[in-house]
Amino acid sequence: MRIQAVFEKNERVRHIGHLDIQRAVQRGLRRSGLPVGYSNGFNPHILVSFASALSTGACGQREIMDVTMAEEVSTEEFLLKMNQAMPPEMQLLEARQVDDRHPALTALLKAASYDLLIRDPELSRRLVPAIGPMMEQQTIMTLRKSKSGLKECDIKPMIYALQGKDQHLYATMALTERETCKPGMLLDALKKTAGIPEEENVRMLVVRTRLLGEDGEGRLVPLEKL
Amino acid sequence: MTDYNDRIEEMLEKVQKAPRYTGGEMNAQVKSWEEAPLHFAFCFPDTYEIGMSHLGMKILTGIINDQDWSLAERCFMPWIDMMELMKENQVPLFSLESRRPLKEFDVVGFTLMYEMSYSNVLAMLEMGGIPIMRDERGEEDPIVVAGGGCASNPEPMSPFIDAFMIGAGEEVILEVNRVILDRKTQGLSREECLKRLAHLHGVYVPAFYRAEYNEDGTLKSFEPVSPEFPARIEKRYVYDFDHTYFPTKFPVPYTDVVFDRITLEIMRGCTRGCRFCQAGMLYRPVRERSLETLVKQAEDLVASTGYEEISLSSLSSGDYSCLPELIRELMRRMKDKRVSISLPSLRIDSVLKESLEETQQVKKSSLTFAPEAGTQRLRDVINKGVTEEDLIEKVRDAFEGGWSSVKLYFMDGLPTETEADLDGIADLARKVVAEYFHVPKEKRAKGLRVTVSASTFVPKPFTPFQWAAQDTIPVINQKQEHLREVLKIKGVNFNWHAPNLSFLEACFSRGDRRMGEVLKRAYERGCKLDGWNDQFKFDEWMQAFADCEIDPAFYANRERKKDELLPWDFIDCGITKEFLWREKEKSDRAEVTRDCRQGCNGCGIQRYKGLCSYAEGKGKQHADTGSI
Ligand code: SF4
Repeated sequence: MRIQAVFEKNERVRHIGHLDIQRAVQRGLRRSGLPVGYSNGFNPHILVSFASALSTGACGQREIMDVTMAEEVSTEEFLLKMNQAMPPEMQLLEARQVDDRHPALTALLKAASYDLLIRDPELSRRLVPAIGPMMEQQTIMTLRKSKSGLKECDIKPMIYALQGKDQHLYATMALTERETCKPGMLLDALKKTAGIPEEENVRMLVVRTRLLGEDGEGRLVPLEKL
Repeated sequence: MTDYNDRIEEMLEKVQKAPRYTGGEMNAQVKSWEEAPLHFAFCFPDTYEIGMSHLGMKILTGIINDQDWSLAERCFMPWIDMMELMKENQVPLFSLESRRPLKEFDVVGFTLMYEMSYSNVLAMLEMGGIPIMRDERGEEDPIVVAGGGCASNPEPMSPFIDAFMIGAGEEVILEVNRVILDRKTQGLSREECLKRLAHLHGVYVPAFYRAEYNEDGTLKSFEPVSPEFPARIEKRYVYDFDHTYFPTKFPVPYTDVVFDRITLEIMRGCTRGCRFCQAGMLYRPVRERSLETLVKQAEDLVASTGYEEISLSSLSSGDYSCLPELIRELMRRMKDKRVSISLPSLRIDSVLKESLEETQQVKKSSLTFAPEAGTQRLRDVINKGVTEEDLIEKVRDAFEGGWSSVKLYFMDGLPTETEADLDGIADLARKVVAEYFHVPKEKRAKGLRVTVSASTFVPKPFTPFQWAAQDTIPVINQKQEHLREVLKIKGVNFNWHAPNLSFLEACFSRGDRRMGEVLKRAYERGCKLDGWNDQFKFDEWMQAFADCEIDPAFYANRERKKDELLPWDFIDCGITKEFLWREKEKSDRAEVTRDCRQGCNGCGIQRYKGLCSYAEGKGKQHADTGSI
């Protein structure tokens, strides 16, 4: 049996990298005393996986973990024990049991929604109005950091929704192994349209609000509902 | 969160390793500022990764937070990048938990573990908005206290610290806090508060003591300014070590720290009496925790931290009287929880070997041995009770047991050391290599690695070598050069350290109040984070000595006379000066002193009733006293 749980990574711990978050969850599972499954082998580790790595510096409102249990455990018990075992900065919000044959989270993940807070109101007043003109372009070219260096790519097909209000940008963008539009790439493109020089630092708080998958009719729905 | 929060958030986006400054770990205790009247900032004068590995901090913050009238928050030395940003943005050094500047706390406490962190204390005070010099602090400023191993010679830090806690901090910390709470609630003046602190047993308040010097620079007198203060400061002891406070939980860092595991302090003190070892002298007598207590502590901590590993800590864990039983019991209880026990590598004896093979729980990492000196003569001088046969036998056991990596620790520059002693190091290394090849090929693990490390000897206060001269830097360099030559042996790696840091350490460890001037000057010249190779600015330090017209050789390279008044003589650390001198004379004759388990050597601790079980004939008799 597996349990999928939605958890948050709040602002205080947003600078913790993904590997450390993984370890924090593993230690939380150990503290919880829940009957978790372990891998075989000389150095057994807890069978837990995550839908997506959240970058250093970003908060997550609804991140998802998938834990293989050694014994049947109710979702109520799982939530109760885990929330005692996890720091206030990383509490679990909901959980469900899934069948062992349920596809892996990473295989289902298609996109993510973000709430991007532009810290400087002045800059947000220039960025938000640039959304319309940018989205009207044929292509939205921006640079993507990859292992082999910077690559130019068109993010237009990867932006599924984008709105701006006050200091916030609300975006839904592709997040798969093949195609990902990161918040930083979106910001770069928007800066270009707004005429803000590349070297000007625009402070932005990234909050990933939801992870999304596709239902039978090709609609984006929360991953934890699939 | 405070007014600085926005600026702090912005800085955190720019620094490397932001989690050093953000807290929020599991079990981090965040108490309400308003509800606890006394606010204690527990400062570790080095980076987060080092400080969070320190057991003493977990014990003391635990004790303070357990009282409903006090809270403790943590503070560490920021890295250079953060320091620069703080300066640029005018953000004072803040605590991890509530992000308050140090100056808003009632007590700011530093733990002094090694001399090379002293400059960080100054940096943290200044960044925290507190005058560095204690005599410049006013009624608004916190009381700055310090404790830890280095407080046994408090003098070099005495211009900066209001009150030192000598000995076991867990015994005295609440008494100190009570007085400081009175300052707050009864409106005591700073002066009155310091006076009350000075009357506490085990507390040294430097403002009430005066040092005078002879023309040759040696100490002429050291006395309290008024007879109301004790002439000697007696350290505090933990009498009932089995029942003394030990936290059932402590913060679990998110990021890698130096010791990221559960540490069980299985005993305090050591019976062996190695003459170079300050900890072995200072933490006398030996006090063991019972197996039941340790197993309970281990279970509590595994449940509250989720750690995967437990290590046993003490000065000489192999001497713990029921070590095999303890390890077996821990392994039995931890097996299902998949917690590994890291063993004191020095006692892989035959009894244990079986149970290890059975459980397969031990990682075959490298084994460590510390013969310290290369010849039997020199080992007798330092009273390191190890023979070559002992060592070789244990190495053989290890190689037969599937280990292939061995570390050997030595010191260079020990008193009376000659070239023959250095050559002895190479001989030992060669014998260890030969032992490996004696094990049949199909039985031994592949990849022999013998690492020989040599550190430079630093004479320490409260040891029989407190009168000794440290070798000068050129002499150490020559010796290390010689070692590099003779240690060109296949399969052997040699590690050494430039002696500069050890030289400075020697100045501070036996320094007097004037070393405080040098420290201040060096800090003004930009010295900080001296324990970090890439930050250590030796030339600036030497310039600081020159600026103050103080000769470092006076502290490091001078042999003291028997009747010289030493800057730390007013501290009573249990062991007497007479005992130390006796030991020094025996050392001159290369005569060994027996292990306390074989009989009391009259070190001075026997004066305290109910403290040393061996002195009172209640010690557990132990057959094996020959292990390393
Ligand atoms: S009092 Fe005696 S037995 Fe106890 S530590 Fe001192 S010398 Fe050893």
